[in-house]
Order: sequence, then C-alpha cells, then structure tokens
Amino acid sequence: MTTYASSAPEQTGIWSWITTVDHKRIGTMYLFTALFFFLFGGLEAGLMRVQLARPNQAIISAEMYNQLFTMHGTTMVFLAIMPLSAAFFNYLIPLQIGARDVAFPRLNAFSYWVYLLGAVFITFPIFFHIAPNGGWFGYAPLTTNQFSPGANIDFWVMGLQILGISSLAAAFNFITTIINMRAPGMTLMRMPMFTWMSFIVQFLLILAFPAITIALVFLLFDRFFGTAFYDIAKGADPLLWQHLFWVFGHPEVYILILPAFGLVSEILPTFSKKPLFGYNVMVYSGIMIGFLGFGVWAHHMFAVGMGAVADTLFSMATMLIGIPTGVKIFNWIATLWGGQIRFVTAMKFAIGLVGLFTIGGISGVMHSSPPADLQQTDTYFVVAHFHYVLFGGSMMGIFGGIYFYFPKMFGRYMDEALGTWHFWLTFIAMNLTFFPMHFSGLLGMPRRIYTYDAGQGWEKFNLASSLGTLLLIIATAIFVINFFKSRKGGLPAPQDAWGAATLEWSIPSPPPEYNFARIPIVTSRSPLWDLKHPEMSSGAAHADADPVQVASANAVPLREETEHHTAAELGIPMPLNTVKPLLTALGIVIMFSGLMFIHLDHFALAMAVSLSGAALLIGSLYAWLFSPLE
Amino acid sequence: MSTATAAATHDDHEHVHYTTTGLDNRKIAVWAFIGSECMLFASLISTYLIYKGRSRVGPFPHETWTSPTGEVFKPILNIPVTSASTFVLLMSSLFMVMALAAVENRGKPGYGGLKGNSKFWLATTALAGTVFLGFQAFEFTSFVHEGLKITTNLFGSSFFTLTGFHGAHVTVGVLWLLTLLAIDMKRGLTPKDTLVVDICALYWHFVDVVWIAIFTLIYLIQ
Amino acid sequence: MPGKHLRRLPAALVVAVAALALAACGDQYPNTTFTHLTDLNTATDALWNRLLLLGTIVFVFVEVLLLVTIFKFRKRPNSPAPKQVHGHALLEITWTAIPALILVMIAIPTVKTIFKTQAKAAAGSLQVEVIGHQWWWEFRYPELGVTTANELYIPAGRTVNFALKTKDVLHSFWTPNLGGKRDLISNKTNYLWYTPNADIADQVFNGFCTEYCGSSHANMHFHVYTVSEGDFGKWVDHQKTGALGSPIAATPVMAASMPGMPGMKRDAKVAAAPAVNTAVNTAVNTAVNTAVNTAVNMAADSGYVFPVGKIPAHTIPSTPLPTGEREVKFDDTLLPNGNAVAGRELITSMANLGKAPCLTCHIVKGEMTMMGLTDNSASGPNLTHFGTRHTIAGGIYRSDAKILARWLKNSRLMKPGSIMPTLGTGELDPQSGKKLAAGLDDRQIADIVAYLMTLK
Repeated sequence: MTTYASSAPEQTGIWSWITTVDHKRIGTMYLFTALFFFLFGGLEAGLMRVQLARPNQAIISAEMYNQLFTMHGTTMVFLAIMPLSAAFFNYLIPLQIGARDVAFPRLNAFSYWVYLLGAVFITFPIFFHIAPNGGWFGYAPLTTNQFSPGANIDFWVMGLQILGISSLAAAFNFITTIINMRAPGMTLMRMPMFTWMSFIVQFLLILAFPAITIALVFLLFDRFFGTAFYDIAKGADPLLWQHLFWVFGHPEVYILILPAFGLVSEILPTFSKKPLFGYNVMVYSGIMIGFLGFGVWAHHMFAVGMGAVADTLFSMATMLIGIPTGVKIFNWIATLWGGQIRFVTAMKFAIGLVGLFTIGGISGVMHSSPPADLQQTDTYFVVAHFHYVLFGGSMMGIFGGIYFYFPKMFGRYMDEALGTWHFWLTFIAMNLTFFPMHFSGLLGMPRRIYTYDAGQGWEKFNLASSLGTLLLIIATAIFVINFFKSRKGGLPAPQDAWGAATLEWSIPSPPPEYNFARIPIVTSRSPLWDLKHPEMSSGAAHADADPVQVASANAVPLREETEHHTAAELGIPMPLNTVKPLLTALGIVIMFSGLMFIHLDHFALAMAVSLSGAALLIGSLYAWLFSPLE
Repeated sequence: MSTATAAATHDDHEHVHYTTTGLDNRKIAVWAFIGSECMLFASLISTYLIYKGRSRVGPFPHETWTSPTGEVFKPILNIPVTSASTFVLLMSSLFMVMALAAVENRGKPGYGGLKGNSKFWLATTALAGTVFLGFQAFEFTSFVHEGLKITTNLFGSSFFTLTGFHGAHVTVGVLWLLTLLAIDMKRGLTPKDTLVVDICALYWHFVDVVWIAIFTLIYLIQ
Repeated sequence: MPGKHLRRLPAALVVAVAALALAACGDQYPNTTFTHLTDLNTATDALWNRLLLLGTIVFVFVEVLLLVTIFKFRKRPNSPAPKQVHGHALLEITWTAIPALILVMIAIPTVKTIFKTQAKAAAGSLQVEVIGHQWWWEFRYPELGVTTANELYIPAGRTVNFALKTKDVLHSFWTPNLGGKRDLISNKTNYLWYTPNADIADQVFNGFCTEYCGSSHANMHFHVYTVSEGDFGKWVDHQKTGALGSPIAATPVMAASMPGMPGMKRDAKVAAAPAVNTAVNTAVNTAVNTAVNTAVNMAADSGYVFPVGKIPAHTIPSTPLPTGEREVKFDDTLLPNGNAVAGRELITSMANLGKAPCLTCHIVKGEMTMMGLTDNSASGPNLTHFGTRHTIAGGIYRSDAKILARWLKNSRLMKPGSIMPTLGTGELDPQSGKKLAAGLDDRQIADIVAYLMTLK
C-alpha cells in the first residue's frame, strides 16, 4: 500500500516545471506561489497592525499605509485565496472526476503563467513606494488621473486586468473539464462536493469577471486616453464604477468561499466516517448561493442613497442568501452527528470553518438590514465581518484542504503535532484579531484610517487586534515550517491516506503523470468507500454507467492502483511539454506594461513596447495553436 | 480573453478522445466563452444606456446641439450608412453558413462548384467583415470631423468604446477566418475539420448577434 | 487530547466575549453607535437590538450544537461503526424553514425602518448643506446665510435635513452617536435627516469621513455641537456678520486706493457695520495682545460660541505634532508678539499675494475677495469666524497659536497630502520634494496667526 516512492516524476529540473502542462504540477506551482503571496499579504497586514496598535502613532506614513491596505486586500483576494483555490481546482478536479488531465492542458499552463506575471506586476511597485493606493475596490473618481495622478493606480488597473485573463482562461478550462472529462458513470449528481462547488465557482467567474473587466477598461481609457467615464466635470456618475465593481465583487465573495466549502465537505465526511449529509441539498444550496449572488451586489452600496425601494429589494435578496448558507452549516453538523470523529489537523480546520464562518454569516445578516448597515458599513465592524468570512471561512477551509491533500500531493503526511499547534494558535489568534473589530466598529471606528486619536474608546480593541495579528504570524510560521519539513521528512502516506471515499484516493500518492492507468467506471458517489467497505455502503445509490461511455473510454471497474508504470509503458499519450503558453503570457504582460510609458510621456516607447508584446503574444499563440498537443 | 479562448479552441488533441457528452471540448469551451462575452457586452451596452442623455456637451446621437458659442451640431448617428454596414455583416453570417456547409459536405453530391468552394465562402465572409470594419472606420472618422471624439463627452466615450470593442471582436474574427482560409489553401479543409470551422462560425454568429443588439439599442431607439 | 482543548477553549472565548460586550456598555466608549440621542438612532438601535438578539440566539445554538456534536461523537476505542446516513428530508426542510422564519422576523422591521428613515424630512427642518472636500468639511446654512467649516452647530429638538454633496471625490458623513452614515457622491445630492433629542443641548459629538478619500482620509473629522434654540439663534446672528475683531478699518487708504481693481471688492456693508467698526478700532488702538483679548470678549458678548469648558475630552483632538523628519520647527517666542495688523496686511495686500495667497482660496467675509471668490469657488475653508472655532485642519488639531503657526508654515507635514501649500521660507514641500525659496518667515507667520485669531 505504501507506494509514495514508487511514482516519482520522470521529469526533473527547472525547465521541466517551466514547460509543464501537467495539471498536478501546475496545481503545485499555484499552491507555492499563492502561499508566498498569502505570506506577503499577511506581512502587509502585520505592518498595518503595528501602526494601529496604539493611537496617534507615526511608524508608517499615511501614503504607505494606504498602499498597504490596498495591497493587502488586493493580494489576499486576487493573489492568495483565488489562486489557492485554483491550486485545488487544478490538482483535484481531474482526479476527482476520473480524468487524465484538464480539457486544455496548455491553456492551464498559460493561466498559471499569466497569474504569476500579473502578480509580480501588481506587487513589485510596493518596494518603490508606488503601489496601488485606491483601496481594493478602487472607487472612482478617486482613482482617476485628477485625484490619483501617479502610476500607483495604473499598476492596479493593469494588474487586475492581467489577473482577470488568468481567471477567465482557467474558468473556461475547468467548465469544459467538468462537463466533458468525467469518467463513465460519474454523473453530475455523483461528483464529489469539491468538484461541484468548483463547478459553480467557474460559472461565477465567467459571468462576474466581464463586469470588472469593463469597469477597468473604462478606468484605463480614462487614465490613458482621457475618456469621460468617471470624469465628474463631464457629468459622469461615480456609481457606474460601484455597480460594475460590485456586480463582479459580490459573486467574487462566493468565488472565494465556495471552494473552501467544497474542501470542508470532503474533509468532514472522511473523518466522521459517514457520507456527507444531504448531498442533493448541498448541491442545490451551492447553486442557489451562486445564483442569488448575482442579485445582491448593491448591498455594498446602501450608503450611496439608492432610495428606499432599491434598498429594500437588495436587502431582501441578501437575506435570502442566508437560507442556503444556513442549510450548509446544519448539513455539515448533521454529517458530524452520529459519526466517529477523528480530530486530525485537517478536521480541526474544517470544524473551525463551520464555527467561525457562522459568525461571519450572522454579522452578514446584520448588515443585510440597511438601517443597521448604515451604522456599520465602512467601519471596523465590516472588517470583522469579512475576515470571519474570508479567514474564518476561506482560509480555514484551505488550510484544512492543504493538511488533507498534502499526502496525496507529496506522498507524506504533514506533522500532526505542529499541525495541532498551527490550528490552535490560528484559532485563538484569528479570534483575538478579528473579534474585537466588531466592537471598535460599532463603537465608532471607521475603516481605512492610518491613525486614530487617543481617548476614543478604541485603544484596547486595537491593541488586541495587533497582538492577535502577531500571534497569527507566528501560527503561520509554524505552518510554513511544517509544510517544508513534512515535504521531505513527513511520515510516508499510503495512497488512501485517510480512508476517504472518492477517486483521487484510489491512485498512488503522488499520482503518476497520467493519473489513472485505466479510466474507472463509477457507479456511486463514494466509489472507493464502496470498494473498500461493501458491508457499509448499503443505502447508497448505485447505478451502472452508460455502456457506450464505458466502451468509448475503455474504462474498467474501479480498483486500487498501486503499481507505477510510465505512460509510455501503458500506451497513454501524454501532452508534450511546451514553453509557448509562458511566452504568450509574457507577451500579454509586456503589452500592458508598455502602456505605463504613456504616463511618462514616452509615447513612441510605449507603442514600441506594447507592439513588441503584442507581436510576442500573437507569434507564440500561433505557434502554440499549430503545434500538436501530444 | 479572446486570445485565451482562441487558444482553448485550438488546443487540439490529434486523435479522438473519450468525452462525457460526446461533444468536443473546444465546442463546450467556446459556448462558455460566449456566455462570458454576453456579460462583457451587457456591461458595455448598459453603460451606454445609463449614460444616455447625461452628456453635458454635444454632439448628441439623435438630437441637434447648439454649443454656448453658437455652433450647431447635427445629430451624429448616420442610420442609413450604418444600416448598410449592418446588412453586410448579416450577409457575412450567411456566407459563414455556406463555408461551414462546404467543409462539412466536401465531396458529397450537390456540393460541387461554388457551393462546395469553402475557400470562396471563407474569403467572402472575411471580406464582408472587412467591409464592415471599413464602414466603421468611415463612421469613426466622420464623427471626429463632426466634433465627436472619444474624449468629448459621455456619449462619445461610451459609444466609441462599445462599438470599438465590437469592432475589435470583428477584427479577431476576420483574422480567425483568414487563418482558416490559409489552412484551406495549404492543405484543404476536409469534413474532419468541421469542428474547427464550426467554432469559428459560432463566434462569428455571436459577434453578428451582438451587433444586432447594438444597432437596435444604440442606433434605432432614440 | 485535542478534544479536551476543544471543550475548554470556546467556553473561555464565550466568557471573554461576554466580558467585552458588557464592557462595551460603559461610558468609556464615547463614539458608540448604540445611542438614543436622535430619532434616527433610536429607530436604528431598536432594529439593531433585534438583530443582536436573534444573531446571538443563532450563534449560541449553532456553536453549542457543534460543540456537543464533536464531543459526543468523538472517536473512542471500540466505538461502533457509524450508521451511513445520507440525509433526512424532514430535518433538512426544518432547518431551511427556521432560518427563513428568523429572516422574516428581521425583514419586517427592516422594511418599516427603511421607509420611515428615508422619508422626506418634515417641512420646516433646518437645512444644512454638507460639502465634502479633500480633507475637510464645509457646512452651509443656505436659509441663514452662514458658511462654516468642520464645526456644525445644530439646535437640539429641531429636525436637521442634511443635503450631502462633494467637491471632489466620494466621502461619507458619519456621526456615530447621532445616526447612520450617508455617502457624498459627485454629481448627486444625497439627503439624511435626524432630530437630536430636545434634552441634548450643550453636547459635542465626533464626526468622521467614512469613505476612503485619499491620503488624509483618516484626518477628515468634524464636530457636531448641539445647542439650545436660543443659543443657536445667537450663534447664527453672529456667524452671519463679517469678521468681528478684524482690524478691518485700519487701512482705509488701501481700500480707497483700489476700488476699481478687477476682481476685487470690499464688502462695504459689512465694513460699515458699527459693531465691526468699534471692534476694529479697539483692536487697532490697543496692543495686539489686548486687541485679541478684547475681540474674544466682544465676540463672546455679541454672539454665541460653544463654551470651551463644556467640551468633553474625547472631542478635543489630541493629535500630536509631527516629530522626526516631519517636524515643523517654529520659534514660538514670536507668537505673543504677533501683530494682527501686519498679518492682515500680509494676506490682503496685493504686494504679498505671491507669498501669502490666502485669499485666493479662503474667504474672510468683510475683507476683500480675490477674483470674485465665492463660497462655491473657494477651495479652502471659509475663515470669516476662524477665531470662534475650536479646531483646525479638518478637526484633527486644537485651534492653538502654536499649532496654527506650524500649520501655516508647512501644512503638508502636519496633514499628509494637504492641498494647502507649504508657506514657510526654506521649508521642504513633501509633495514636490522641493524647498520653498520665497515664502514667509516665522515673524510673518506669527503676524498672520495673530490676525486669524482675531477673526471672532
């Protein structure tokens, strides 16, 4: 059973990573890059909390603070949590649905490289004190040339535009993968919950990102070509930006949280030794959340004066979302109920999500009520709320996911003792950091202020938050140590490291490049569990797979794959490594970077750089399209 | 984004793979892409409509405007000319259908001569697209001569950006068609290539449909 | 082992949270939103109480259920294999229905409160225009002809209808004690109204900008003074006048010498007002120090200014002066001898406008205005009654000669991003990175301080 060593990758060296099109390697690169940016965003938060630990401090300048909070938000949303989710999408979706790769392996590599280059593009200015400083939702007209003449906002506009390309390309890829690459018998309603939640997220991505793309195009045109979209003097309505941004921004919240919900829905059943309670309802509630998520954007705008009728409609729609979300919480608890709960680290984080996300959900309902929201919006209460959702929700789920899938990815367990320290310190520190923010907000502290006066009643809450952040950084350091220590020296893990139910655990850890030596036939929601525990699988819905599909895929009944062969030995055609996606990504980034020179009054240089970027883009794209995949 | 999906649509497995739906991956991806594009154009069109009538200075699309200095600007939209270009674009969709049929039915009875000449139909489709772009270039330059630039007012900004985005999509489509034409000239497109032409056709028809929405909402409705 | 932690920790956490919540009710939280000082906040707080109650019930229920579950079903030696339950339709319907019911209990009062608080303000309300600027507040009373900055006087017991506008980027108007906020949106006017309770006269409340608006967003404060109707009337009568105490008639020659200059005019009506003349003469004829004191006394007699003694500590800004490389050095010994007449000369004489162009952005009603400056075109705060204000610089500093002197010398070090230019000779302007070659020396600044302080 212990096969971790048997499936070492055939390819090694930096070049093999740069040119890889293997979804597992790309997922691993996403994981490392996103973890790096998570640490970076955390340090930005740490600096802010140093400044705010005491009133009237002048450790960090106003300008720097404004860059820090803008980049903290931007980093955590676009460079940390979304790509951490993408790491799991990449690694897991093909494994969970019984596929050998994603639908478009080279496009997948392209997505990663665009993400990496875009992340560097938007991050490096902070070292030169010219980082974006308009807040992560960059409200116009503050972000227009008139009020933000520097290059700061240009980096933000173009950086987000670049990152959007990455997310969209990945979303088209995963939608196709999930619709079209499922093993015979893997019907939609047999898909693992993580794949289901990811599926919903991809639709949110492709439908939400165009709105921010257009909002950013307008801002880019305003800043570079003098258009009037957000030009107050020409009669512009600044709420145009807010509507477009939040039409994206609210679904974005679900883009950030649903993958974590999916991970937790894998972890809780495994360590309760029970199937997920109410699978169908979990699927439908996820779809409901995604669907309603497009109808509630203006609850971010209750203070802008939309009028009583609009406020009422958006308030009611927002409250409705509470229902499917509540259902999820209760179904998770029901999954635990009657189980045989093993408190491994992954499980602790998953249970932590259920407990902490509930707090964020309740405060969310509190500001779905506009009159109450008017006392809360843009105060620290809101900061507390969304950190309970994004840290207590997304990050707890992602940490749980990392501990859970680490043995699959690296063939070794993460250290449980360090993991326990990591969990408890994170849990305590997280509450110490964010719970007091509820109070400082309700007691009158606005958000996004680099300093505050003494004697306002906010001192102890801020000090607590700052101490909590310090503790959180220590906790995260323990995680990093555990991660790297366990990668080389962790306990070897068998392929089914935890006794789970789904396909990814039926193959070696780490999986061979082709994933499944033979495509498995799936007959239930818990194929591996049914295979190993036939006596306990009673009551589970079983149905045979479509024979046409079985024949077409040359599929075989599921078995545990323990042996390792090369793809060539098995006669499985593998996609060829290629550098073209990277070159295409580079072309895009160079094309955007060229625009920066317009502001420096080097129009000719700008054109030269942009056009050479475009040439590289088109050249490598054609080379890519006309070279065979395998 | 369009480049990304263009890439997706060509990320070609040379031999036939098993798929769950039996459809080719590229076809599903292009539908997802079109769904996303709908939101893109919805955002652009909404912006145009939200800003309609909010411009502080002219020229305006449908009304005459007299500037404070007494200069008179006529309504700027030229509906007869744009109707002509719309007709050309609509015809291009018909040519596209012919091109697809020619590739799909190559060698079948009834597909000889001009009807089966996929090169001709691809070329005419691309030509119609180019003519449409020519009309757009003419429209843009005449607007600038009449005093409407992208910086002039909210109408100018939202109009040029919306129609410019559409024009960019047509341009990508023309390049795509020319690429197919080049392949056809080099080795000849066969029924096995139907899918490659089909996804291009999907995109092309989508771009057409968007233009119908734009033409109705921006030009016809005052 | 971990199970044991799991049991103890949340309990400790709940206790800590409860302690914090209890502590939050004390009066050491001067900016609390949980007040009943206005009709608006009373309505909001009633709604909030229901949200908090239901939220707490749900919180306790879910967390206790979760803790009980993980305790009860933790893995023990020889525990039996769990029953493979896949779902339970009735249960799932129940826990769909109960949250829905709770949400209805929230939705009904929510909708009622929305329509109640967003109705049009009652006729006869006091109209106040709130205009946001980077980074200070302008308050206009259009019916009363009063314009002031950063300090808002409102009569207790009367409904105030705020018309919210912005001159530049978005801001948000918030007085936590008095009611929920409203954004200031470019090219749009928003409204917010509330009625301070009749019994809260003679109180001061902190106000903040709560929409991120650039470098000094954190430094955009204001103060609300609730006063009795009688005091409010006196305050208005006083604020309507020109600058009391200004040595305004001291230079009749200058006034006479340039009546025809384009874009400049003396406000003859105000200059002729006897009260002003008396004040002015007194000020000119005595030593400057005395003049200032006299002016203070006179202002106190003829109008109303919120008494310093009644200002609670938390509404007195204690922002420290910048130190280190942002420190503004000033020779404070010059301040007691500042000459208000010379100060006035500095900012009104054309010869000095290159150095001290105060009146190109600020209005001092009664003094000449540059280029026909009006409230709408003035980019800085109206300084007519500067001397009656308790704070300067967007409410972040006390109005104090030492602070004001440094502010005039280099405001951009005192308040990041400040639009008011650096004025002191040799000062480094942090925005341009250049040293100011020709500006004001410390003595001249002391004179201007003396002048500004006479503007009662």
